[in-house]
Parts: sequence; structure tokens; C-alpha cells
Amino acid sequence: MKTIFYFLVFPGFLFALIVGMVASYIERKVTARVQWRVGPPILQPWYDLLKLFTKESVVPENAHLLTFLATPVLFMVSATLVAMYAGMAFFFPDAAFQGDLIVIVYLLTIPPICLILAGAASANPLASLGASREIKLVLSYELVFWMTIAVIWVKTGGELSLVNIMNKPPVMYSYSGGIASVLALFVMQAKLGRVPFDIAEAETEIMAGAYIEYSGPLLGFFKMGQYILLATLPFFISSIFWGGVNVFKYVALLVIVILVENTNPRLKVKQCLKLFWFILFPLSLVALILAVVGL
Amino acid sequence: MINKVKDILQGKIIKWEEKSSKRHYIEIDKKDLRSAAELLFRKLELRFCIATGLDNVKNMEVLYHFSDDKTGVVYSLRVFTDRDKGKIPSIADIIKGATWIEREMRELLGIEFTGAADTSRLLLDPTWPEGVYPLRKDYEYGRKEPRGEDSCRRPNIKIEELTKNGKKTKIIPIGPYHPLQEEPEFFELMVQGEKVIDLNINLGYNHRGIEKIAEGKHWDQVTFLVERICGICSCSHPYAYVNAVEDLLGLEIPLRAKYVRTVIAELERIHSHLLWLGLAGHFLGYNTVWMWAWKYRETVLDLCEQISGNRNHYAMMRIGGVRKDIFNSEIDGMKEKAASLVPILDLFKGAVIDDPVIHARTKNIGVLSKEEAINYCVTGPTARPSGLDQDIRKIDILNGAYQLIEWDVIVCQNGDIFDKTVCRVLEMYESVKIITQCLDKLKGLKEGNIWEEVREIPPGEGIGRYEAPRGEVWHYVRSDGGNTPVRHKIRAPSYMNVLSNELAAVGGDVSDAAITLAAVDPCYCCTERMQAVENGNVKYNWEELLRLSEEKTKRLRGELK
Repeated sequence: MKTIFYFLVFPGFLFALIVGMVASYIERKVTARVQWRVGPPILQPWYDLLKLFTKESVVPENAHLLTFLATPVLFMVSATLVAMYAGMAFFFPDAAFQGDLIVIVYLLTIPPICLILAGAASANPLASLGASREIKLVLSYELVFWMTIAVIWVKTGGELSLVNIMNKPPVMYSYSGGIASVLALFVMQAKLGRVPFDIAEAETEIMAGAYIEYSGPLLGFFKMGQYILLATLPFFISSIFWGGVNVFKYVALLVIVILVENTNPRLKVKQCLKLFWFILFPLSLVALILAVVGL
Repeated sequence: MINKVKDILQGKIIKWEEKSSKRHYIEIDKKDLRSAAELLFRKLELRFCIATGLDNVKNMEVLYHFSDDKTGVVYSLRVFTDRDKGKIPSIADIIKGATWIEREMRELLGIEFTGAADTSRLLLDPTWPEGVYPLRKDYEYGRKEPRGEDSCRRPNIKIEELTKNGKKTKIIPIGPYHPLQEEPEFFELMVQGEKVIDLNINLGYNHRGIEKIAEGKHWDQVTFLVERICGICSCSHPYAYVNAVEDLLGLEIPLRAKYVRTVIAELERIHSHLLWLGLAGHFLGYNTVWMWAWKYRETVLDLCEQISGNRNHYAMMRIGGVRKDIFNSEIDGMKEKAASLVPILDLFKGAVIDDPVIHARTKNIGVLSKEEAINYCVTGPTARPSGLDQDIRKIDILNGAYQLIEWDVIVCQNGDIFDKTVCRVLEMYESVKIITQCLDKLKGLKEGNIWEEVREIPPGEGIGRYEAPRGEVWHYVRSDGGNTPVRHKIRAPSYMNVLSNELAAVGGDVSDAAITLAAVDPCYCCTERMQAVENGNVKYNWEELLRLSEEKTKRLRGELK
């Protein structure tokens, strides 16, 4: 019973969705102000969802029906699970379990996989191009992400529990932790699919890529999953690197995401791969060595 | 140069007409056309501008226009052929830039080009009946053609195709409606993975038949008509048109009118380049640049409004001068506004030209080499970044102030997207320079004398050119002494520039292709304004369409309940 409450209401689905919607509103509003536009009203994300859930979903003729229908839901559910585990560690330390760090890191790879499957199931050349780009994107950032997690693990003396990590002094106040936390910002940007890493949906090139055939409630599920991820990822990064979360830390991370998004053009997928493998990965290796040495 | 042309065409010339020092019409036999074109294009390195096809009723006439970009002289080769089943040798294999115009003349005038590799339709609908040529004189505008069974124009979007060497490839469609484009256009990218290996360009979605309409309008009305070819180049087209008519008349306009023309035309260049810069940012995913460029573009549009009363479609040009004057009392304010553009341009120069990610995305991407630029006959900011020093403003605008003031032509060398951007940004600085100088000069002139009275247009022909923001705009008019032009040929710059994409986009990624396709600053409404086809059928008018859609909504609502 309690688990269902955790999952559906707090800190899972409902809470994360609302936080994500607010975050999305802030993102859009700040972006608009930076670009000398007025920007949407605060309820705009809610209106968007409302609209999507009152429209019909069109399924393409040649699409693989089951995959096409299941992936949006899976996308949202896995995002919600991340929100639940990350939130439980913070709000209900007693209910959390040992090793939730690993679970979260694994769960975070499921949304991109859903997106890849969705793109492949759509029977659309642009969607399959989007899927192939998403694969390359995941391949690029996932390696660096694991390395930063390894830095955390070494720095905290082998801790795999979020609660214990948060109770230790923040990792980022060390050379290795500092490097790793900056790298984690890159990964966050890529995981959120924001410029310069919005390669997989690039609307002026491949028209939203994997999302192209989705409409109505199915797109709504994707949208909700994205809101939840937007709420969760800064939360998670903040808890593991900055020693816990509060409103300021969360907003600071959000602002970084928004600023980077608004001051960069999109990278090409090849350039993204090069950036992560040949520049950021060696850096993360340095961070790991420093961590092992004890700096 | 004139003597060189005479020498090289020795023995081929049937008649040499010198309309003015800058306009030469050379009649030759059509069997000599290929060798003559090759000599002019390859030996003398003249640029092929366009070909004009005319239906003289008794026969067909085709003019091939070549421009000398150093002196601004235009040599036009004139050939005649039979009206029915007329044949002319194709020159598309010598001059790549002639490919489209030959396809166009074939479908619109019914002239056969022997030896042409590509004889498919360029602008007309596939369902258009064979043997009906809409630009001929016996075709009245708006005539209805019987439609076939499958008459709805559905682009046949294929997913797979065989390439030239027999390999299977996927096709990524960019168009007919795509977020990359403001206008309907259809590029089929044949890709392997992300790599573009071939490109197919399909035109004709935007065809309005302006050349045919112009034949039914009074000389003065045509100025307004050509203004509506494109909202962005709404000064360049009328400018080129009045240049053409004034060339026919041999008229020089008052000095004040020259300055006013130059000011408004240069304002248009700045707003067009800012618009492109913004869109380029958007295509790269850099939306902040997009919004900022468009915000500062407002300053320019305000200036346009102050001068002409309109943000676009200025209605400033008239044959013999300009329609509206600039008030001397307002000049100081305008100069201030124009000067306020310089810090803005500095900002963009910094933001765009020094950004490492933009470098990564644009350097050595979509390269158009100098040789290919010559071969494809590209113009304007597509040609100048490739190292071609050609700007019509420097050489061939009699009725403009460009010879009276100081400014430079911007030429870059690499021909990639980055150079195209740099070229456009630097050109805006030059435009500000031109505007400021013109306004200064205007202040010293008395208000009021802004046009020559023009009453009759005598028989003859004239060529007018202007350097639009996207490149050379070309207008050719022929008069028989009547109220309307007998023939009005328009060639917009994108018509030459878009074809070069088939070279620049191939070999890059899909991401590169997106920005490459956009880097010529394509303007499809110009590209296709060409000749006469309305499908004829006005099937529904506005009220009916509204009624139909209301009915459908009602029906759907009923079904949903």
C-alpha cells in the first residue's frame, strides 16, 4: 500500500509530474524572456497535456502495433520509477534500500531505449533516423555517466545507497568530484535531450525524429515522461554531487540547463560522439584516478 | 571585350544590334548555338544569366543572355526556330545552369531541346495535358484544362530507391512541407545511414504564373505585380523591372530618385540578411539567434515604414523615378536609427563568427568550389563566398546611386556555409555605410524632383538587373508600343542558386544538408513565380471553402457523439 502511494502520489508520479510541469514552465518562460518573447502562462504545460489527452492517437499503417503503443507508457513508467527511488531516498530515508544508486542508473537508460524502440516501430524514415541518432547519443554519454558514478562510489568509500551518499560531505568539494560533477552536467543535458544534444529530435532536420508519428494520448505519455525526467534528473544529480537537494540547488541546475540550451546551436551526432568519447571520457578517467589517489 | 566577342564569333553572326553600350543582341543560327555558347562561357568566361523564350506567333525565339561581370555588359544570343515542333540544340551539358530553364521552356513553350539529358517537367503538374503550352500567345490566362482521374497533386513519397550505381538507399524527404522550409518545396535526400549520397529537387508547388499575368497588365501595374513575387525582395523585383523599362527607353532618372531608390533597396538587403541569419540560427537549433535577429530586424522595418508607409511591399518604384520622397527633415532621425544598427551587427558578428560550436557546424560544410560556382552560374551571396567577384550594383545599375558613393564588395574564398554567413554579415555593414552616405547626400538636395514623366513605351526590348539580397534579379521586357509588355521574363536569384544544392548537400550528413539547403537563402516563391500556370480551376472560393470546412466539422462532431 505504501509502495503504491510512493509510486503514484509522493514522491512518484503526481509529485514529480507537478514539479516537472513547473520546471518546464520555468524553462519555457526564461527561454522566452531571453529571446524577447512573452512566454506561456504558468498552466501551459497542463493545457498541453489536457489537449493531448483529448485528441485521438493515430497509429501508422505499417507500425508494429504493440511496440508502438507500449513504449510511451514504458517511457513514463520508468521515468516515474526513477523519480520514486530518488525521492524516497530524500524524503523517506527509512524506506530506501541499499544499492538504489545502481537501480536508478539502470532505470535512467530505459527511457532512451523506449524512444529507440518507438522510433523503430513507427515505420517512418525520419523516425528510424531519429532512433539511430538516439542510439548513438546513448552510446556517447552513457560511458561518461558511469565513470562519474564510479567517482562517487570511490569518493564515498564504496557507498551505493543514496541516503548514505547524501549524508557524507558533498563530493563536489574535491578535485575529482568537481570534475565529475561538471561532466555530469553534460550528461544531464544530453539525457534531457536539450540543445546542443537535441540531436535525436532536431525538428529542422528530422522533424522530432522518433516522436514524429505520435499524437494524442500516446504523445501525452511521452510528454509526461519528459516532465518527470526534467524534475528528476537535476534532483538526482544534486543529491549525489551536491550533498542533497533544496530549492536553490534544484533551480540553479535548471538555470544551467536553460542557459546552455539558449546559447548553443545543435551539434551533429558525430561531433557529439567525439566530444563524449575523446574529450569528456579522458577527463572522467582523470577524475577517477584522482579519486582513487584521494584528491 | 566587345571586340573579343566579335572576333570569337566571327562568321557566326547574322546580325549585331547594339541597343546601348551595355546591351548587345547577337543573332546567330541555331546550329551555331552550341559552339557560340561554349566560346562565350568557357573562352571568354562570361556568366550565363538565363534564357528567355518568346512566342512570336510566326516563330519561336530564344535569347541566351551572357553577362560580363567586370564591365556589366550583357550579350544576348538570339536564335529562331519553328513554332511547331521547333528544335534547338541543348546547351545544358556545357552550362549546368541552363538545365532548369531548358526544362521550363520545353514544358511552357513547347520548344524541344535536342540532346538534353533531363526532359522531365520542372514546374507543371504531372497531370497537365501533353501538348498544351501555357506561355504561348494562343493560351489565354486562366483557361481550364480537363483534369485526369488522378488529378490531386500528391507527392509520391518513396521510401527506398535505387541509386545510379544500383545500390538501394533510403530516402529522407525534406518537404513538401517541412519545418526547415517556410515554403513548400520537396527535396529527396537519398541517404545511407546519415550520409547523403544523392539529392532530388522537385519544384512547382508554388507556381503562380506571374510572367503570364504581366502580359495582361499595364506597364505601370506590372511594378506592383512584380513586387508581389516575394515579400522579402519586394524592392528588388520592381527595381530590376523599372531598370529594364528604363533600359528600353534609354532614360536616366533624377539624382534624388537615385538616392531614394538606393536607400530603400539597401534597407531591404539588411532586413533580408537579418531574416536569413535568424533562420540559419534556427536551422542549427540556435533559437536565441533567431529571435534576436528578428527583433533587431524590426528597426529596419520601422525605417522602411517611415519612408514608404509599409513594412514590406514598399511600392516605391515607378518607371522614371520613385513614387514617394524622403523628407529632408526626417533624415537626421533616420541616420540615427541606421547608426544604431552597427552595434547590433557587432553583436551578431561576435555571437555567430566567434562561436566554436557554430564553427564546428559550418566550416567546410556544403562547400561550393569556384569552378562549380561558375558552372552552376550561381549569383549573389552564394557566388561571392566561393571567390567570385560579382556584384551587379558595382557594374550595371545606371539608375542607382551606387557609383556615386564609397562601398566595397565582400568576397570570401572557401565557399562553405561559414563564409556564406560571414559574407552576409559583412554585407550588412556595407549596406549601413551606403544608407548613411545616401542620406547625407539627400540632405543637400532639394525635395520634390523624384520622377521623369514617362508616357509611352515605344517598341523595343530592355534588360534590367539588380543585386537582390539573394543575388542577381533579372528582368527582360519587350514592347510592341502597346499598353502592356509583350513578354516579361523574370529570373530570380534562387532559380540559379537552388540547383547548386545538388552539389553542396551531397556527401554531407543529414544535419549538414539541412543547413546547406538553407544557406543559399532559398526563396521558392521567387524560384517558381515563373510562367503561366494556374491549374485553371477555381473550384472553390473563400466562402465555399469556409462553408465546406464548417460542414465537415459539424459532421465529425456528430460522428464523435
